Amino acid sequence: MSKEVYILGGYQTDFARNWSKERKHFVAMIRESVAGALRDAKVAPEEIESGHVGNFAASLYTKQGHIGAFFVEADPAFSGLPTGRHEAACASGSIALLAASAEIEAGRYDVQCVVGVEQMKTVSASIGGDYLGTAAWYELEAKGVEFPFPKLFGKLGDEYDKRYGLKDEHLAEISAINYANGKLNPNAQTRSWYMNKEHALAADEFNGAVGGRVKISDCSQVTDGSATVILASAAFASKWAARNGVKLENIPRMKGWGHNTARLRFEDKVAESKDAEYVLPHVRSTITSARKRAGIADVSGIDCIETHDCFTTSEYMAIDHFGLTKPGESWKAVEDGTIALGGRCPINPSGGLIGAGHPVGASGVRQVLDAYKQVTNTAGDYQVAGAKNVQTLNIGGSGTTSVSFVVGV
Amino acid sequence: MSTSTQSVQNLLASRKLNHVVVLGANGTMGFGSGVLFTQAVPRVTFLARTKEKADQGLAAAKAMVRSNTVSQRVDTGGYEDLEKVCADADLIFEAVTEQLALKQEFFARVDAARRPDSIVATVTSGLSINTLAEGRSESFRKNFLGLHFFNPPNVIVGTELIAGKDTDPGLLDFIETYSEKKLGRTMIRTHDTAGFAGNRVGFKVLNECAILAEQYGPALIDKVVGPYTGRALTPLATVDLVGWDIHRAIVDNIVALTKDEAHSTLVLPKYMAELMDKGTLGNKSGRGFFMRDGKRKLALIPGTDRYQPVDEIKFPDLSYIAEISELHRIGRYEAAMAAFVAAKGPEADLARKVVAGYISYSFHRVGECTDTITGIDLIMGQGFNWAPPSVLVDTIGLAETIRMIEKAGVPVPSILAKAAPGTRFFNHPNINVGKFFVAG
Repeated sequence: MSKEVYILGGYQTDFARNWSKERKHFVAMIRESVAGALRDAKVAPEEIESGHVGNFAASLYTKQGHIGAFFVEADPAFSGLPTGRHEAACASGSIALLAASAEIEAGRYDVQCVVGVEQMKTVSASIGGDYLGTAAWYELEAKGVEFPFPKLFGKLGDEYDKRYGLKDEHLAEISAINYANGKLNPNAQTRSWYMNKEHALAADEFNGAVGGRVKISDCSQVTDGSATVILASAAFASKWAARNGVKLENIPRMKGWGHNTARLRFEDKVAESKDAEYVLPHVRSTITSARKRAGIADVSGIDCIETHDCFTTSEYMAIDHFGLTKPGESWKAVEDGTIALGGRCPINPSGGLIGAGHPVGASGVRQVLDAYKQVTNTAGDYQVAGAKNVQTLNIGGSGTTSVSFVVGV
Repeated sequence: MSTSTQSVQNLLASRKLNHVVVLGANGTMGFGSGVLFTQAVPRVTFLARTKEKADQGLAAAKAMVRSNTVSQRVDTGGYEDLEKVCADADLIFEAVTEQLALKQEFFARVDAARRPDSIVATVTSGLSINTLAEGRSESFRKNFLGLHFFNPPNVIVGTELIAGKDTDPGLLDFIETYSEKKLGRTMIRTHDTAGFAGNRVGFKVLNECAILAEQYGPALIDKVVGPYTGRALTPLATVDLVGWDIHRAIVDNIVALTKDEAHSTLVLPKYMAELMDKGTLGNKSGRGFFMRDGKRKLALIPGTDRYQPVDEIKFPDLSYIAEISELHRIGRYEAAMAAFVAAKGPEADLARKVVAGYISYSFHRVGECTDTITGIDLIMGQGFNWAPPSVLVDTIGLAETIRMIEKAGVPVPSILAKAAPGTRFFNHPNINVGKFFVAG
């Protein structure tokens, strides 16, 4: 990045919580998340200069718009601060991070608070599925379709199968790894759920198909949750380092970013890429441009990945798009243990969207927070030993908006 | 790898659990706890009075965790197989009916059949571990412990670990770490006292609410000591769910075997015993403090065996509860608890009496039931889904809590009285304390 953007700390709510059962408004989630982040980052609320909220669909799930203004409700010191809400479907959190970091790079502000938030358990599964359909081209791809997104990502699997071949056992292994990692994460939604590879392979009354080849075990979760990070300029980070007795060079930075938007409809994306090496070339471009900006030549410079496994097929796609294998050979990294915890480049040590949960507008921020935990050696039981550079991939829609960050020290 | 990670790995490698045998696998605690082991153990044997009963336990286990793959790791049998399977087992998990003589009978058979190095665990919710181990061989006593899962075990992660006087300390370390890392449990070490920590504190509060219900009626008590005081489920609805017979067994056991500053609040109220004689056992009998008449919720009329529709009861002004709930709803928990402490009126006094009693009783049990308040905090939070006593003290504030306890006329625990001003007690890094403050 042209100017350094530092990460001072952050917080994630327990994704297993059901805030509707607690009878809470999402502002309670924002409050807990922001207060936790300020505590973790040792930053006073008075020091925050601007607030960014990533949120996908509060206006549908909670019939509330103007979500950026709720940032001000998180602490009395925030009254009067500039705030805004950012939306790009499941990539909303990353778009909020991009905006906040751009403002730091531009020199407008020195300390930013970025909150991702989504409350999804306010409605039934089928109504929620319909709301999520607005992340696609609703009229053309989702209207009147039950659970449109599993079907769209089932088609992604079909496209891989057509071009390169795809075995369900590799998708089942991806699911099993994410659930197993989630068990190590004290904030993961599924940490106490019953899951194993055999269950992920089964097609029975407990693991039915929801979208073509996509079964329940291939899906990420419906989640209530929030994640927050505190970003700072070099000037503030230097002061912060001095007062906390740490060295500036040991504070993690957002080293690089990538951001592309492809055509909305899945079939238009696939038609565009029919002669290309990669099924979703714009996603590939997002990943490589983030690394280029970070000065990292290829995936060998990345120690672990937090990717957007909204379905096992999207993680399968991510494996070759990150460059862990040649295009179409993602299965090799599944089989040889590359992506498992303890492997060469673990994917989703946190459990990802499948294991940790997927509060839509919060996922991009949660990924960067987990990357921060990895490079500060504070990820606890899901720590990747010696992680220095971690890359994220956050996707909105059916591969439509993609954002990637490289976080490192 | 850090030293602590290495020591965890060493501990996990110190014993092998390749075969677990569950006794009483047709009961909820048997199959519910047994199925947890299939996540980490290649072979789990479900035993019950007959193989058919054990098969029913297996079917219930599959439905509980919603996976047919449970069958791949579970085999079943009747108690005639006990000697044969226990000879091969690494861990024998006892979950038969909560009767001392019956459990002792099973342990005698297990003792004769088991390998000297195998672990024997009991899921008892209140019988003494030392009493259960009486008369058993030295190797049995050394490898015997209490592993108290709460119902339903696949949902409630708080689990009590209880040592007998001869239990090998290394075994306790292993089971604690194994249960946390492999079975996803939150482990709480308690002393071998009646009801251990969770039921001792929890049923004290529940029974006190039952006592108060005789005067005020169950509907008012469940409103006044409702979710806004830091619990997901209201107290008397909890007793109905647990079952009055179970409630009675737990409090009777505690009353018989302990003596403490709040003893009278643990004595089962006479009216409950009389209604139990007429078949009132809570939800399982169709009536308890509450019952349903179609869609209508009815509440027991105090002093009678009759019920009245809750929506016809004339409640006093409880608007203070709505105000506190609204603060919880927007995440202003400290402001909410400040309003709780300041609320006027006899109902607010009643609520503070129960909450102050809970805090006082919990802190008084430190040393008796657990080594520190953290154990009681964790079992109340992760076992009962109640705001842990320390979370209440931290949210209300130490000085304000002491004033509330004094005003309620219950003893101030010395831990609180001696603490430095502003001391905070709850320091668990991974528990969101906000989840305990339920609006409404």
